[in-house]
Amino acid sequence: MGLRDEVNVTVVAFVLSVLLGIGSLVIGYSQAGFADPVRWFVVLGFLWLAAHWQRWHWFSPVALLLAVAAAAYGVWKEFRTVWMILGALGGLLGWDLFDFARRLRYAAPTDDIRGMERRHLERVAVVVILGLVLALLSVYVRIQRLAFEVAVGLILLAALGLTRLVIGLRKY
Amino acid sequence: MSRSFLPGVIVYSLILASIVAVRGEFIALALPFVMYLLAGFLRAPDDVKLEAARHLSTERAAPGSDVVVTVTVTNRGSHLEEVLLEDILPPDLTIRVGLSRHLVRFAKGASYTFSYTVSGPRGGYGFESVEATIKDRLAVTSRKVRLEAKGQLFVFPPVTRLRHVAIRPRRTRVYAGMIPARVGGAGTEFFGVREYQPGDPPHSINWRASARHEELLFSNEFQQERVADVGIVLDGRLRTNQFTRGHSLFEYSVLAAAALADALLTQGNRVGMLVYASFLRWTFPGYGRVQRERILYALAHAKPGGSEVFSDLEHMPTRLFPPESQIILVSPLHEDDLSPLVQLRAQGYQVMVVSPNPVQFELSYLPKTQTVELAGRVVRMERMLLLQKIQRAGIQVLDWDVNEPFDLLVKRKLSRPPAWLRAVGG
Repeated sequence: MGLRDEVNVTVVAFVLSVLLGIGSLVIGYSQAGFADPVRWFVVLGFLWLAAHWQRWHWFSPVALLLAVAAAAYGVWKEFRTVWMILGALGGLLGWDLFDFARRLRYAAPTDDIRGMERRHLERVAVVVILGLVLALLSVYVRIQRLAFEVAVGLILLAALGLTRLVIGLRKY
Repeated sequence: MSRSFLPGVIVYSLILASIVAVRGEFIALALPFVMYLLAGFLRAPDDVKLEAARHLSTERAAPGSDVVVTVTVTNRGSHLEEVLLEDILPPDLTIRVGLSRHLVRFAKGASYTFSYTVSGPRGGYGFESVEATIKDRLAVTSRKVRLEAKGQLFVFPPVTRLRHVAIRPRRTRVYAGMIPARVGGAGTEFFGVREYQPGDPPHSINWRASARHEELLFSNEFQQERVADVGIVLDGRLRTNQFTRGHSLFEYSVLAAAALADALLTQGNRVGMLVYASFLRWTFPGYGRVQRERILYALAHAKPGGSEVFSDLEHMPTRLFPPESQIILVSPLHEDDLSPLVQLRAQGYQVMVVSPNPVQFELSYLPKTQTVELAGRVVRMERMLLLQKIQRAGIQVLDWDVNEPFDLLVKRKLSRPPAWLRAVGG
C-alpha cells in the first residue's frame, strides 16, 4: 500500500489527535514557564507521526505512556488541569487511531474501509467527548456538602459497577 | 497482549497517584480512559457464532496452475462490529490474485464471501480453517476463533504420455494384454511352429515347414500377449536426490515415475508404486484409471527424505512385489545400490533402472572451470562403470540426461520396434 492510499480520514484524525495532545502539553507547560520539556514534547510529536509512516508499531504505546506521564506530572505540579486533561486525551486518541490505522492495513481493497473509518471515528469521538466532559465536571464542579445517604448510595453503586466490570472482564 | 492492558495500567496508576497525592485531578485525568474501557467492555460481542464454508474451483490441478478458493463466512450470532478473517493457507501455496485476509463488519445473519487465487508446486494441500479475530467497537476486547472450513487440493505431477513401454517380465498374468508372455498361443508375434492339430485355421499352416515332411503338417504359433505385474520404486532418498545449492533431481524422478505408471496402466498392466524415502509409502497394485489416480495421489505427496534405515536399498521390501514380476526403479543411483539391485535380479525379478543422470544435472549449473570439468570427467567415468556393472547383471538401464524430454528417451530405448524391423531381427 502506497503513501497515497494511506492518506485517509483516519490518518488525518490521527495527526490532529497528536497535535491536540502535544499542543495541549506544550501550552500547559509553557504557561507554567517550563521551556525545556516543551522541546521534548515537540520531538515526541514528530517521532509519533514518523512512527506511523515508518510502521514502528511499538512506538505508539510508548508515546501514550509518555504523554500521560507528562500530563500527570503537570497535574502534580499544579499546571492548568484542562491542558493536562487535553494532553492525555490527545494521547489516548492518537494511540487508538494509530492502532486502528494499522488494523485497516489488513483490510482488502474491496472491503468497506470508508464505512469502518466513519463508524470508528464517530464512536471514538463520542467516548472522548463524554470522557472530557466528565473529567472537566469532576474538576470544576465542587459539591460542598454531600448527604451521608447519597455518599453511601454512591459507594454501593461504585461497588456494583466494579462487580459487573470484574464479571465482564473474566470473559476475556 | 490485550489492548485493554495499557489503558487499564494507566487508570490504576492514576488512581493510585490520586490516593498517594490526595489529589482529585488525577482521577479526572483517568476518567477518559475509564470511559474508553467501559465503552469497549459494555459493547463487547458476547454471542459469537460464525460458520465458514469453502469451495475450490478444482481439487486436482497441475503444478503452477491457478485454483480459485472461495470462502463464505456466515454470522449466526449477534452483530459483530470488527472481524478480521484470515484464511490459513497451507505452506508452499502462494496467492496469485486477491487476498486471504479481510476486515469485515457482520450484521446478524449476514454472510461475507471472498475469493482468491492460489497456485503451488506438486503436493497435497489441506485447508483446515479460517481464523476470525473478533473485536468490539473500540477493539478493547479481542477474541480469536477458528472456523472449520476444510478443503483439499492435490497438485499432481505432470504426466508425460508415452506411446509404449516395452517390458519383458519372466511371469505374466492370465489376462490378455500387451506384454509378450513367452508362451505360444494366439498373438501377433511369431513364436514358433508346432504340429498341426485339428481345429487350427488353415491360414496358420506353415506351408514351407510342412513341405519338408511328407506326412505331417505344421502350424505357426504366435506369442501370447498378456498383462504383467509391475512394481515402480521411486527413490526419494536425500543422499541420491539432493545436490549442492539446494538443487534436487527428485522432481524429474517423480515425472518419470508418473509417466511410466500411466503408460503401463494404459497397457492394462497391474501396477504398484513404492516411494522409498524417509519412510515407505506403498500403493497397492491395481489396474486402470482408479489405480492411476491412487498412484498420482501418492506421487503428489511424495517428498525426498533421509533416514538411517532407508539410506540404502537393502531394506527394500521385495515381498511386496509378486515373484518374477517387473520392477522399475527410478533413481539417480548411488554406488552402494549395485549389490541390492543384483540381489533383486537374483531373486528372479526383471529389473529396469531409469536413472536421471546426476552428473550431467550437477554439471549443468556448476561454473565451467577446469577443476569442475576434471572432476566431472572422473565422476562420469565412475557412473559409467556403475551402470556397466548393473547392466552386466542383466538389468536394463536407462541413463536419462534430464535436459532431454523423458518421452524421447523412452521412445528411443523402450519402444517396440515396428513389425517389419522385428521380422528382420532389428
